[in-house]
Amino acid sequence: MKLVAITACPTGIAHTYMAAEQLERVAKKMGLSLKVETQGAMGIENELKLDDIKEAAAVILAVGIPVQKSERFEGKKVFEFSVQEAIKNADGILQKVKEEIGS
Amino acid sequence: MAVEFTFDFPLPLGLHARPAAFIQEKCQAFPGDIVLKNLRNGRQGEAKSILSLITSDTQYRDLCQVVISGEGEKEFAASFKRFLLEDLKLKEEKALESVPVASAIIPRLVLSEKEMYLTGQPASSGIVSEKVFLLKAGFDWENLLAEEVSHEPASPQAEKKAFRQASLKVQQEIQGLLKEKKGVERNILQTHLSIITDQVFIDRVTALIEKDRCQARQAIYQAAREFSQLLLGAKSQYLRERAIDIQDITGQLLEQLGGPKLIRPEASLNQPAIVVAEDLFPSDFLSFKTGFIRGLILEKAGQNSHTLIMVRSQAIPAVTGVDQANRRLRSGEEVILDGNRGVVIISPGENVRRYYKKEIESENLLLKRRQEQASLPGMTADGRKIEIAANLGRPEELEKAWRDGAEGVGIFRTELLLYGKPVLPTEEEQYWLYKKIAEEAGGRPVIIRTFDIGGDKPIPSISLPQEPNPFLGFRGIRIYQENHELFRHQVKAILRAALFGQLKIMFPMVSLLEEVRWLKEKMAEFSKELQAEGLPFKEKIETGIMLEVPSVALLADKFSEEVDFFSVGSNDLIQYFLAADRSNPKVRYLNQPLNPALLRLLKQAIDLAHAKGRWVGLCGEMAGDSSLTPVFAGLGFDELSMSSAFIPEVKAVLSSLKIDDCRELVAEAREAATAGENEDLLQRFYQEHFSQEVICPELVGLQAECRSKAEIMQEIAIRLQLSGRVDNRAMFEQALWKREDDVATDIGFGLAIPHCQSEAVRTPSIVVLRLAQPVDWQSKEGLPVDLIVSLAIPAGEKITQKLALLPKLSRKLIHEDFREALRQARAPAEIVSLIKEATS
Repeated sequence: MKLVAITACPTGIAHTYMAAEQLERVAKKMGLSLKVETQGAMGIENELKLDDIKEAAAVILAVGIPVQKSERFEGKKVFEFSVQEAIKNADGILQKVKEEIGS
Repeated sequence: MAVEFTFDFPLPLGLHARPAAFIQEKCQAFPGDIVLKNLRNGRQGEAKSILSLITSDTQYRDLCQVVISGEGEKEFAASFKRFLLEDLKLKEEKALESVPVASAIIPRLVLSEKEMYLTGQPASSGIVSEKVFLLKAGFDWENLLAEEVSHEPASPQAEKKAFRQASLKVQQEIQGLLKEKKGVERNILQTHLSIITDQVFIDRVTALIEKDRCQARQAIYQAAREFSQLLLGAKSQYLRERAIDIQDITGQLLEQLGGPKLIRPEASLNQPAIVVAEDLFPSDFLSFKTGFIRGLILEKAGQNSHTLIMVRSQAIPAVTGVDQANRRLRSGEEVILDGNRGVVIISPGENVRRYYKKEIESENLLLKRRQEQASLPGMTADGRKIEIAANLGRPEELEKAWRDGAEGVGIFRTELLLYGKPVLPTEEEQYWLYKKIAEEAGGRPVIIRTFDIGGDKPIPSISLPQEPNPFLGFRGIRIYQENHELFRHQVKAILRAALFGQLKIMFPMVSLLEEVRWLKEKMAEFSKELQAEGLPFKEKIETGIMLEVPSVALLADKFSEEVDFFSVGSNDLIQYFLAADRSNPKVRYLNQPLNPALLRLLKQAIDLAHAKGRWVGLCGEMAGDSSLTPVFAGLGFDELSMSSAFIPEVKAVLSSLKIDDCRELVAEAREAATAGENEDLLQRFYQEHFSQEVICPELVGLQAECRSKAEIMQEIAIRLQLSGRVDNRAMFEQALWKREDDVATDIGFGLAIPHCQSEAVRTPSIVVLRLAQPVDWQSKEGLPVDLIVSLAIPAGEKITQKLALLPKLSRKLIHEDFREALRQARAPAEIVSLIKEATS
């Protein structure tokens, strides 16, 4: 199963990248394909292309601030969490998303 | 014959004390009488007295008449009219550009411990823990009149005599104090003397005695009250704070007349304490035994009262504007006074004491570091000597300059001696002053720069024409021929004083070689005069010129045959070279110290001078910018002179540079096309040779003894400030807490990552602390943390290489093996290399 995610936090220097790293790490362990875009102090990195989004079964937002370019997700199933949750409980998040989209 | 004209008063705030001072300054030099009549209310004022002008009660758009009589009345009338209609408004607008007042920062711990505290404005930095002493005011100003009213008829003659005697007595007392005091304190006493001898004040008191049949005490009170009300009504905080000087003097006069005895505080304070007062008169402050005032808490807000100026010069911590301090504090109570943050903590508990003990320790460390830097020699790491000197304008500043590590005085600006003085200083007066400076310098070189005045800075004692373009006009040495006596007295005074130390003489605003030749002829002529007068003087004095006109730079080899040294006045040189008025904000972008054309010009001038064995200094404002020190070293400057506050930092930077690196830098910078390219070049230079890494061993604590989150934040802030990465740690600490308020930064695994972006941060930095005991992070989960990785980012930082390291580190921290390695490391250096590896 393919998933995409965006991480973003107010200072954009620590949590954004920690959450991205944690989600990527846990997804790999769970055998999920996950591409994470970071929106932080370095700007948008690893940007999600329209194709990435089209192929994804769901979008995970791990954010503490409004997401840029959110119009890309129109019509997609979007799950929103806090950045902290993504760092502390990435297992739980990915498990939940997996269950909700039913596969 | 007199000349008259009318005008509408142009200032919306009316004729209050500040514009009155401007008018007085303008009129002082005119030999005749100038009267301003307010045609609305019929009152009039003497244009040469500030108090008299104020009493004309002139409001916005009042129709006023000016009557001028005396020699040159016609010319002066024209220039004065232009001044009233144009300049006055500009000056007033400039003065009104307000200075923001710093506000209190309350340490989080004080809030979380629910301590009792008072807040105000930080007015003098430093921290002190001590008992307070409440100072009851010597007399109650507001209620004084009630006490003073008397219905007994008074004999005007007797009352006038009483007033004169009281005035003389107070003058004698001030004169006595003047003998003991120096520096700032001396100036303030002189101000008091000028108030008590102000003719308008004396006239008003006399009129009240004669016409209103007042007793002397009533009359003094009434006059002082009128004048201080006028000052208090002024929009400027500075002028409001002058009112207390009038009240101070009044108190002393009334005491002489048997009024309420002033309780001189030294009588009741017999041990060191933090003094609490509604406001403190300068004379009260001076009456305390030195060292007895450990700190000062004032109810009245302010930054610039004379008392506070003295307090700061003695490094006594102070907080002002503390509402009801006298009622909310009790004598003998222990408080912590935090002059950095503007907070007073009452009877603090153990945790806050512990916190502040550490604050005081780190203040002492910072002071020590500054002293260490100040005592460095002005030299690069590989031994190229560059003298680091101070720019001064007043002899009182010498002591501080030596403390800051000045190796000499690169420019002593003498024109400050002329401001606000109705007559020119005599040769004798100047001789004593320069002699004192030479002696106090104790063998250090001091460059006396002769008067640099012109149309932009009016001097009451010299009449100079108003010019459309004063910076390109009649200024500096250009006025010496017409104002020959001014020039002559000064040069003779310097030549005589040079016997007592290492004085050098420097002339401003030279553009032609002929001018230097003329100056030297004149010096020879003055020397002959001194010889004839039988006055001893130094025959061979080192003689230099300011290098501020580009023509001098290009012809420096020829000038070198006539002078011993050059000093670059960078402010003027840039303004002439790039054709941009430095005071005009619209063309401020042209003020480019790194402009390649400017660097070429400077390099050429310095090389030409060096080839002839002459030395070149820099005394403009940019000399104090330590980020430019490598450029100045590379250009070949032999001396850098700056405001003394910058000296320790510039010395520290200089001592870590290698001269060849600096020369290479300048060689490349001269080939650039724009100043912007050079800014990037300089930044790369710093990163390569000199830049601070994001982490260093001083930023690592392996066994930090922090007992709470508050102490952790404090530890981070102190480490960053001590390593020179944060300027104001109170502000930085507050920024860390603000980030915690959004969401606590513990992320599980015993790790917390407090971080912030703040103006207080100079360079991106990482602090790592391992705690001796786990600490509750006070977050939702309430889990203890034992590992802290803190990130500090400058405000508005562009995406730089260094900033990009921080996301890398954040990602790495997610991995347990990395955290474990941080926890197991045995030395700070090991942690530094772990972080560097992780971010490479």
